[in-house]
Amino acid sequence: MSGGLPKSMFRRNTWITYKCLYQYCRNMSVATSGVVKYEDPGLHPSTGHEDPGIRPSSGNKDLSSVTPHFPNAFNIAAYVNSSETLKKLIDLNVDLSKIEKKPYVAVKLLKLDFEKDMKEHIIFLLDHITDPNLLGPFITKNPLIFNESIIDLEVRVNYLVSKRFSKNQINQIVTKNPYWLNFSTMRIDRRLGFHQDHFKLTGDEVRQLTVTQPKIITYNLQHIKTNSFAIREEMGFDDKEIKALLLKKPKLWLMNQISLLHRFNLIHNELGISHKTILQYPQILECRKFRIKQRHSFLEKLGRAQYDPTKENFVPIMALAEGTDTDFCKKYAKCSVSDYNLFLKTL
Amino acid sequence: MVKLRDAAQAYKALNGLICVYKPPCVPLRRVQHTVITNLCRDLNALPDRLLESRVEIVGATNEPMSVRLVQNYADHRLASGPRYLHEDFRCSWAAHLGLFSSGVLLLGINDGTRLTYKINTSRLIRAYKIHGQLGKATDTYFWNGKTIERATYNHITREKIDSVVAHMQAAHQKTMYELSGVHMESETAYELASRGVIRPSNGKLPVLYGIKCVHFQPPNFTLEVQAINEYDRYLWTLVHDLGVQLKTAAHCAGVQCVRHGKFHTDLALLRKHWTLEHLLENMQQCQELLDDNQRLLRPETAMLTA
Repeated sequence: MSGGLPKSMFRRNTWITYKCLYQYCRNMSVATSGVVKYEDPGLHPSTGHEDPGIRPSSGNKDLSSVTPHFPNAFNIAAYVNSSETLKKLIDLNVDLSKIEKKPYVAVKLLKLDFEKDMKEHIIFLLDHITDPNLLGPFITKNPLIFNESIIDLEVRVNYLVSKRFSKNQINQIVTKNPYWLNFSTMRIDRRLGFHQDHFKLTGDEVRQLTVTQPKIITYNLQHIKTNSFAIREEMGFDDKEIKALLLKKPKLWLMNQISLLHRFNLIHNELGISHKTILQYPQILECRKFRIKQRHSFLEKLGRAQYDPTKENFVPIMALAEGTDTDFCKKYAKCSVSDYNLFLKTL
Repeated sequence: MVKLRDAAQAYKALNGLICVYKPPCVPLRRVQHTVITNLCRDLNALPDRLLESRVEIVGATNEPMSVRLVQNYADHRLASGPRYLHEDFRCSWAAHLGLFSSGVLLLGINDGTRLTYKINTSRLIRAYKIHGQLGKATDTYFWNGKTIERATYNHITREKIDSVVAHMQAAHQKTMYELSGVHMESETAYELASRGVIRPSNGKLPVLYGIKCVHFQPPNFTLEVQAINEYDRYLWTLVHDLGVQLKTAAHCAGVQCVRHGKFHTDLALLRKHWTLEHLLENMQQCQELLDDNQRLLRPETAMLTA
């Protein structure tokens, strides 16, 4: 197909099946009366001879409420023009194309009405996110928020207040982790307790962890345990170091355990960086492995791979992870980028 | 360099061959995936076309109805999704490079898939740098295998390795003529040889045209090999055989494709340069190279039908 043409509506693989078309037609203002009127979906309005009111011959009746049935569609875009709710969601910057990737969520969303089911939630959310522009991404991520009752949401926020989170902190939590409000207070309480036990945290530290990375609280707990095992047993950090690492870079616990271990192996065993230095710059574990490896082997080739700050020609470890290649070559490798590119083509 | 006005124009320009540098330990499929993902990302970031409008006829049917032109929400990016997706691109490779091999890789994008097919069937010569290590043999013939044998390599000198390599090259050339089915000392064989290298007619038979040792610093050494129809495992066994013939053990430490026909490493794009602008520029360079060398796609040398 040529580039500029609009994407066909029928390109996506997701097949949203609507067993009952009436349900979502509730919120489609044009279609409502037409569908309700003709209970048999197979009956075309113009051939419905049982009701004399809609015969083509009766020209003085208003037929604008009669519309054909909506066919099944591959995506939500097919329904957008006939639904005020969906139009408003698009105006709010909600990405419907992402929501329709999960058909069970999309079906639930289509059954909602903006005035009745969404308005209060949106007003509530605007109070609890840091930036109003983030409302669209929030709903894109978690459209099921509309299925929770507003009282529940208030209870969940009040729970955080009772745990002595400040208003600002609560907003940060809700914004950073859109799924937070879908968790009941019981579950959240259990999970906060789990993290406090598992990492031996004080109350303040739990609060700090929750605000810096709220995703870790609602994450798969088995995954957290696996990563804790990897960091404690396989990498050899002790409990105190783990605590410091957790409060500095909680993201490490959300990463894949195997790739994390590969990175650590490269940094600790091949580059010879001590646990203490890694603890000082935990960001190094977030950098992709090939980037560190390429830069390290280049420095090694030049004879500049010297990461000990007590000796001369010291290269800080973060130089391998941060910045552009141009900066790296100029500052630490002391050569031009083209030399580095040539080197990369010999790997 | 093409000036990019909008995404549609850029997409239309994306038909052709690109030459990328495949890093080692990255599967070919992931290279393809990354290139296409980056193209989609960059195309979607370019200025979009105007939104379509929609004609609506509204009002009661028994009275004069009104016609309005409204914005078509179904065409909105948030409803219909990103304009360019993976499925919009066809992508194929000209020659397969194994997981652990690195080097020049030719990919065809959209209509360029036809070019990769032509390049594949014209059997261009590929040049490789094969890094080997003496003293250890592994069960896979590669560095990642289990060690099955250790041996000393103090007796290996540059002269010895050169002579063995020259012998290997001669043996390969000899089999090439033998497989062509003509007598080695006949007039036909001479005429065959005068028309250039003999190419295999199918994609099955690996043929080596030259082997040379370009770097020797025990235990490491590097061979440069020109070949057609080879594959990574075949090159690994070559190093293993060399080790046996040198009365020691050897395994392959890396395979790097430095040339594919006329496509050299200096043309190949590094991973950090796999962006729309660089790829478009590279595509143009590749097209110029193909236009200058028409024989690349239609080689006129003898075919080996064995």
